[in-house]
Amino acid sequence: MGIQEQYRSEAASLLSSGEVKLVIGFGAGSTADRRRPLFARTGEEANRFVLDASCIANLSTYLLTEGLLSDGKKVGIFLKPDGIRSINILIAEAQLKPDQVVILGYAIENGQLTALEGRSVADFNGVNEKIRSLALPPAVQQDIERLEAMSPVERFQFWQDQFSKCIKCYACRQACPMCYCRRCIVDVNQPQWVNTSSHTLGNFEWNIVRAFHLAGRCAACGACDRACPVNIPLRLINARMGREVREAFDYFAGESTDQKPVLASFSKDDPETFIL
Amino acid sequence: MSEPFEPKIVAFVCTYCTYAGADLAGTSRLKYATNVRIVRLPCTGRISPLFILKALQKGADAVLVSGCHPGDCHFTAGNYHARRRWTVFRALLSFTGIPEERIRFSWISAAEGAKFAELINSITEDTRKLGPFTQYQELQTIIETQSTY
Amino acid sequence: MTRILLKNKLDDCIVTWRNAGYSVLAPVKRNEMGSFSEVQKASDMSLDLILPERTIKDRFFPQTEPMIRYKISKQQIDTETMTPPDTKSVCFGVRPCDAAGLEIDDPLFGWDYKDQYWFKRRNNSVIVTITCTASDDFCMCTSVKLSPESTKGSDVMLRPLSNGNGWQVETITERGKALFDSVSVHLSDEKAETAALAQVPVRFNVEQVMEWLANPTSFESQFWKDIALRCIGCGSCTFLCPTCHCFDIQDEGDTYNGIRRKNWDSCSFANFTMHTSGHNPRNTQSTRWRQRIMHKFNYYRGKFGVNSCSGCGRCTRQCPVDMGITETLQAISNLPR
Repeated sequence: MGIQEQYRSEAASLLSSGEVKLVIGFGAGSTADRRRPLFARTGEEANRFVLDASCIANLSTYLLTEGLLSDGKKVGIFLKPDGIRSINILIAEAQLKPDQVVILGYAIENGQLTALEGRSVADFNGVNEKIRSLALPPAVQQDIERLEAMSPVERFQFWQDQFSKCIKCYACRQACPMCYCRRCIVDVNQPQWVNTSSHTLGNFEWNIVRAFHLAGRCAACGACDRACPVNIPLRLINARMGREVREAFDYFAGESTDQKPVLASFSKDDPETFIL
Repeated sequence: MSEPFEPKIVAFVCTYCTYAGADLAGTSRLKYATNVRIVRLPCTGRISPLFILKALQKGADAVLVSGCHPGDCHFTAGNYHARRRWTVFRALLSFTGIPEERIRFSWISAAEGAKFAELINSITEDTRKLGPFTQYQELQTIIETQSTY
Repeated sequence: MTRILLKNKLDDCIVTWRNAGYSVLAPVKRNEMGSFSEVQKASDMSLDLILPERTIKDRFFPQTEPMIRYKISKQQIDTETMTPPDTKSVCFGVRPCDAAGLEIDDPLFGWDYKDQYWFKRRNNSVIVTITCTASDDFCMCTSVKLSPESTKGSDVMLRPLSNGNGWQVETITERGKALFDSVSVHLSDEKAETAALAQVPVRFNVEQVMEWLANPTSFESQFWKDIALRCIGCGSCTFLCPTCHCFDIQDEGDTYNGIRRKNWDSCSFANFTMHTSGHNPRNTQSTRWRQRIMHKFNYYRGKFGVNSCSGCGRCTRQCPVDMGITETLQAISNLPR
């Protein structure tokens, strides 16, 4: 039995036994290589789930849909290791109760799918050990190095060119499981810290604020980067921030459900070489 | 060039240490550069990165953020939290091409009036050498002329 | 005999037009994004894109536009109206769907008050459209009664030659005729075969959809809740749409100095209908998605007699969760009735 059939029947039995009220997974998309989020409430609907190497989206963003978990019932969800990582971050930030999530875990390696053992959040502690040891994708690493080798003026120009494309559709924010604020800072207008207009300055400010709010919280799932309709390489900025918290504070976001958020904690001997 | 360039520097300081330090510099009759605009806040923990962005947006050429030495925070831990935040924010700004020399951080206690005066003087001199932060300020001019097209 | 514009003469045409005071805009792929940008020469253009990510609409209704500069002092209040520069432009290589989008939006910007920002640019520009010889899985012009060769909104229609060397020129409006008469020395008169048009399948029955939407019971249908479940509420479909036109007026600056701007806004945002009181009449994503579909295929038609969709398919193409007008309207056509 392939993993798709296995998870279809597991989702169906979770639903028909009433253990979960909803399973969030993937269904066929509008083209052969697209998969779209699919929500199943009955065992019958679970038969429409698709699970293959094209299922790369991080579905955990749906868990914080307003009102979804407020009844205390459980929800099943298809997750890759990066999705599990983002669940851990959400639990650590008290946005999610671990016992409300049933994980149907899978990993994609070289186009091959494997099922991940375990169903409850606690079962996946070992998975994150593995992610921690993984290096950045070489393309991302190279691009970051290329940027860091530039002078500040050139780097500024690079980001100015990129951010000038931004149209402030906020797809990056909406696609991100970590962007769960009821009222985003850019929607706060008294006082208005960030220019709401989508001119280059306003775009610059928005993108800096977004990246800062995700520093030490990003699960590197790439949802923002894939969502961007104008192809701004947001992955670079997120990966750079991830590296910073790792190097400066030995912190790896989403490693466990009980870690303290990096920017809401401190150590007395944090590095401070730059402080005069 | 009609007038020589005078850098605009915004200093976000905590009221318990650095502001008191600046006060001491004043009462000790120490002279320091008049290029700095001091914004007093209750604690470095209250200094949001948004303040720094706003200062740049409004045309600052350099920003100083300063508070109590570690262990001296009036609220016990505000400056420790701030320190982590600065580390990350500084890396972010640097990665987006905002030079590190334009955003400075320091610890200045209430007794360090002389350190405050010296630091302001040296930041002013450094920024004078760097010149105006035209790259960022031009974004402001673009938005006035450009309706994008 | 028809007039032919050969690709190797395009540079000469650009020079002529530029010398006559036109700025020439064309699809340009730059920094991994296709948009209409000013070009100096033919090689700057990316004419083989099926569609650039950004629409030509952006050139007429920019994402942010300064309207008024204000300055308030103790003595007086100074305001200065900021209008777009009076420059003529040639929009070259527009696709029929994008060109149609402009014409669809014309009545909206001019029904009671003529929006000077839109019409100043519209009156100053010539739309040179190229018919589509290729399409992708998301193109749906034929479903909304347009086609890869519809001339709606175009001043000139160019048809690619089958040998790939140039285009057959068909002028549609006086403005388009004048533009190509000015470069007639660079055109050749010869017989040449035009390339086959793209075959865009009809993906839904728009009449059925319109009929269902117009039925008052459809408004509260469970259908909306089901289909909009996965919408994450970003604005990419609206901001990349060649006909979406909602905007917000924002004052940017402080109490004494600043600029009043017209910024794009999107009905997918929760803030779009948020009242000052905190009440939000469209407080779920399904009501917002319903509004978008209803507006395009029901309300807009009721007011201006035309559907507010030109079938470019960008909404689906760029959607982070693979939603879009096509899927929704297909689902509506397939509803049991």
